Amino acid sequence: MAAAPQTLRILHLFPRLLGLNGESGNVDILRLRSEWRGLPVEVIAYDGGAPLRFDDADLVFIGSGPVSAELLAHPLVLAIAPDLKQLAADGRPFLAIGAGFQLLGDRITLEGGEVLEGAGVFPITTRHGGTRVVGDFVVESPRLGTVVGFENRGSFVDVGPHGTLGRVVYGRGNTETPGEEGFWEDNLLGTHMHGPILANNPGLADSLLDTARSRRGLQYTDAAPEALRSIDERARHARGTIAASPLSE
Amino acid sequence: MAIRTTAAVLVGRAVRVAARLRGGGSAIPGNIALKIDPGFLERTIASIPDGVVAVSGSNGKSTTTNMLAAIIRAHGLKVFTNPSGGNLPQGIASALLSEVTVSGRLDADIAILEIDEGYGTRLAELLKPKTVLLLNIQIDQLNRYHEPDRVAAMLGRVAAASTDGLILNREDNFLVDLDAQIPGRPSRTVSFFGGVPSLVDGASHGVASADRFGAASAVPGSRPAAVEVVALDGARATLAITPVGTPDGDTDAAARTEIEVRLPARGMHYALDAAGAAAAARSVLGDRFRPELVSRALDTLETVYGRGELLEVEGEQIEIIMMKNPASLQLNLDSLETAPEQVFLAVDEGTPDPSWIYDIDFSALDHVDGITGSKAWQFAVRFGYLGIPVVAVDLDVKAALKQFLALPRPASGHKVMILNYEQMMLIRKILGFKELEGGGAA
Ligand SMILES: [Zn+2]
Repeated sequence: MAAAPQTLRILHLFPRLLGLNGESGNVDILRLRSEWRGLPVEVIAYDGGAPLRFDDADLVFIGSGPVSAELLAHPLVLAIAPDLKQLAADGRPFLAIGAGFQLLGDRITLEGGEVLEGAGVFPITTRHGGTRVVGDFVVESPRLGTVVGFENRGSFVDVGPHGTLGRVVYGRGNTETPGEEGFWEDNLLGTHMHGPILANNPGLADSLLDTARSRRGLQYTDAAPEALRSIDERARHARGTIAASPLSE
Repeated sequence: MAIRTTAAVLVGRAVRVAARLRGGGSAIPGNIALKIDPGFLERTIASIPDGVVAVSGSNGKSTTTNMLAAIIRAHGLKVFTNPSGGNLPQGIASALLSEVTVSGRLDADIAILEIDEGYGTRLAELLKPKTVLLLNIQIDQLNRYHEPDRVAAMLGRVAAASTDGLILNREDNFLVDLDAQIPGRPSRTVSFFGGVPSLVDGASHGVASADRFGAASAVPGSRPAAVEVVALDGARATLAITPVGTPDGDTDAAARTEIEVRLPARGMHYALDAAGAAAAARSVLGDRFRPELVSRALDTLETVYGRGELLEVEGEQIEIIMMKNPASLQLNLDSLETAPEQVFLAVDEGTPDPSWIYDIDFSALDHVDGITGSKAWQFAVRFGYLGIPVVAVDLDVKAALKQFLALPRPASGHKVMILNYEQMMLIRKILGFKELEGGGAA
């Protein structure tokens, strides 16, 4: 019997519709962090249409987009909802940003009151509307310490009693009164930290990769290559700079 | 009313002089004049005989406005225009202050104004443009406008204000059918500019138009162009111009006039800017339009401040690349002939969210000598993942600049600095250059 290929597979959902603001950078970062440590990665892009063998995916990423793109992605997401729920139940890590996070939730209430059913991967609901917040975003995560990025949203997220990425230090977060940001429980991470969130927060990237690897029993050959150490040092400075004087509109 | 105008002009001018002496040109004088006489801008503009041409879009506004003004001047008209970047109401008012008589009269036949897309709706109400030229909708300052669809809606309102002429870029996903998205007017002529497919597709990142989702009634490139870029050779382009008065759709190629024009620098985006300016001039001037005057005007045009500008520092030429938005940075990187030997980058909070650097192809660079500004570390992370070596990161702009300028002259080409608007202004000041007048940063 041939040995199982030692490759990590990342499923990138709707890169064409949902990839606002450099978010596909997250996929590149996951790939490079694994490959530089000696574990090859295959990225599978799915933009709708003929169904893929979703079961191969070790890690799932879905990004954000304008409301117009969110509405177009909605039926496409619903069409694969059972597959995605299966992947989630089976412990594959998910990173879902903005509109993608909303679509993988239970329900989205649009500004005009219309309600969209979500894929039901994340036990959350979203309500569009309210004042848009745009600016630096600083969150204190119990697991990772300071997490920084950019917030640009005109919606609220209700995560019920579930775990979150962390407590908002600067910015708004899920609710009208700043409190907590996103959703993070077990293998599911969703947030409105836009753009390449993993660039400034390599700890998040490694945590997703570790969850994916341990499910498959995949090993790195070099856990801390020099190239990554120097990038992570730069990212530490980037977090420090943003957290020291965050700004918003 | 007249006394109030005079007061506005005099006080505004005094403030302008004071602001200049302090070394800071700005929109402040215009702001004060508008406070004293809120109708100052609207009334002065309304008195211009040939009316207003408004130029807007995400990228290339300053270059194109400059080109169009030069073309119209070459046809013998007196043009009032706003300086690069002075595209908000207060910036336009500041520019007016330097040209009106004390009673508020302006000696100009026509106004050619670059307007900020975010203020487009308000400016369209104030300025009542006869003609509107729209260049493109690119992923520009998303933190400001959030979504390309919103920018499209704002530009749609500007387009709807045009009474006589509407000129659109047919290569843009949003503009190709904008005329069908807005209420029509019998008095309005709609015309398009574009490029032959081989040139448009061949530009390494196309024309960098924002993605459009949802229903469209036309495919980019599908509309007949009044002015078309048919050849491009370095910083020279050939434009084919459809005769005035012929319906654009059924013109055979032989009837078109081909002219060669000089561009501010290499790049298809500059060729499209030139085509847009020529198409707008053709629309505005009608029978008075002479294609050969387009060539003459563009030949003598100075490079617009800050785009591909060469600064002379201690006898050495330094090329400035403005990083205004993702599209402009990409197009400018694409137009570099070889990887520059010495590159410096400075970006601060004037670019609040540089996330889009993950969408940019930086393969035109093979290393970066120095990065500064508050976003420096985020760029350093990006270059790390790209495997592009970064020699030094220093958030102290003066120190970083000093270190870069101390490098020996490159063996070929010149030092290149990639700067956002705010850092460009700061670095010019550090180097002892005069600041830009006009204010209201783009
Ligand atoms: Zn959002």
